[in-house]
Amino acid sequence: MKEFTEKELAQYDGKNGNPVYVAYKGKVYDVSSSFLWKDGTHQVFHSGGVDLTDALEQAPHGGDVLEKFPVIGILRNVVFDTPSKP
Amino acid sequence: MARVAREMVEKAGINVDQLVELLVKNAAAELTTYYYYTILRCNLIGLEGEGIKEIAEAARIEDRNHFEALVPRIYELGGKLPEDMKAFHDISACPPAKLPTDPTDTMAMLKVLVEAERCAVRGYTHICNMTAGKDHRTYDLSQAILNEEIEHESWFSEFLGEGPSGHFMRRGETSPFVSKFLK
Repeated sequence: MKEFTEKELAQYDGKNGNPVYVAYKGKVYDVSSSFLWKDGTHQVFHSGGVDLTDALEQAPHGGDVLEKFPVIGILRNVVFDTPSKP
Repeated sequence: MARVAREMVEKAGINVDQLVELLVKNAAAELTTYYYYTILRCNLIGLEGEGIKEIAEAARIEDRNHFEALVPRIYELGGKLPEDMKAFHDISACPPAKLPTDPTDTMAMLKVLVEAERCAVRGYTHICNMTAGKDHRTYDLSQAILNEEIEHESWFSEFLGEGPSGHFMRRGETSPFVSKFLK
């Protein structure tokens, strides 16, 4: 599976015919087919080509909305869900 | 435009241009949903479909009312509607509530209806969170719309077997929460 740096991910912002990729918890999703990501923006405030993990914590929906979109890679150097030692 | 009203919202720390864009997108969602629900309602026929037609019609009329109620606030804040209706459709805050491939599939119809309502509930919750304590008029309006969208969601979700809503259908009137903005 392809690994993306944040800089590489930023190229997929939905502008100028580029696909729209967003990252969430280390996975990179292709949301180009979504009506709600037209032109690389989502609900005014969110842009494609970025890691939305923090933004989704504040969103009126969970990360499950991304499950219907294909995972096309992983975001490099991002570690999630690491259990803490007691 | 209501210049001082806009200034008050700006002073409260809200990016008014972003808020207006969000209101326009939600107004687009309401008007397009009104259109798509017209088609859904026409196709809600037969033994199963007829039972849903009445609430689909109430939701349809109330979504049109939401559009009507949102428009003055958009202009008060210095915004405007796009001149091109096709562009207006395409910036909608929610996906088109299109007729399912099989219009006789009542469950598929209900899923379209409930997903449209859930998108609206998320959208107005976001606007309420954004404006609470800062833009009292937009908050009041969004909260009124949110109340109705939540009722719509629960009506349709009952038919999907997700549990009772505790509501009874409208008794002749529509928009019990939003009507104060339509006078």
